[in-house]
Amino acid sequence: MTLAVYCWLLWLYPRSYRLDLHEEMTFAFREARSTLPPALATKISFYRREYFGLLAGALCAHLDCLFGVDVSFRRFDMQPQFRFPRSTIYLMLVIFGGVVLAIGAAAKVAGDPVGAGWRTVMSLLVFMLLSMGIVAAAVWGVLHGLRCSGVHRLESLQSHMDSVQSRGNQ
Amino acid sequence: METFALSEPVLLVLLSLAEQPRHGYAILKDIESMSDGRVRVSTGTLYGALQRLLDHGWIERVQEENTPRDRRTYRLTSRGRRNLQTEIERLRHLTRLASLRTARKEA
Repeated sequence: MTLAVYCWLLWLYPRSYRLDLHEEMTFAFREARSTLPPALATKISFYRREYFGLLAGALCAHLDCLFGVDVSFRRFDMQPQFRFPRSTIYLMLVIFGGVVLAIGAAAKVAGDPVGAGWRTVMSLLVFMLLSMGIVAAAVWGVLHGLRCSGVHRLESLQSHMDSVQSRGNQ
Repeated sequence: METFALSEPVLLVLLSLAEQPRHGYAILKDIESMSDGRVRVSTGTLYGALQRLLDHGWIERVQEENTPRDRRTYRLTSRGRRNLQTEIERLRHLTRLASLRTARKEA
């Protein structure tokens, strides 16, 4: 079952990557899985790491195919004045949920005068929230994948290494 | 700020291949053992990194006959080894400096 999910996620990779690496990656996954300790927490952590790693890897591979390997993803450093704690997101979601419930309760009290209009607004809100969630998850996946390995900096590193080596030779 | 240091997973991949050519799963296990289990890389992350390192000419696939496709081995190229040595030199300089500074503070 877990191998089937893994193989299914491999289909998210570009065709060229899949043809080249499918067997190697499946072999490495199978071997890693066979040496897992029986503890449930370790297993959950392993599968979470593997599946998220594949999702992020597939996104990065698609970006590689689209923009070429030399595309340099600069580090995103948000200006300090725009930073906010992660809890803000949860707080905003709670407030949003509260507003939705309040509107729902108000509509009930008022005998649901808005009817179909209310349902349309609600479905639009849910659709917007879901779309934002999917986009945010995709962006997070790419950034997470790049941060995991740090390979996105190889290009700028190479020129730095060359200059250091040439200084050393002089 | 521009960072010119190798990330830990890439450094560990290169260190793993510096010793001997290895296939993907062997690299995974070696990274785990080198970092005392602290760094665990997923297969997706590892093969993404290997692919980039291949594209940049830091590593290469070992062409061996009779090697099954699922166990293809990788080794450092001379460029990769040179870059690794430069990085090790940078780290050596940094640790030397850190030792000197902390020793001076304690004295």
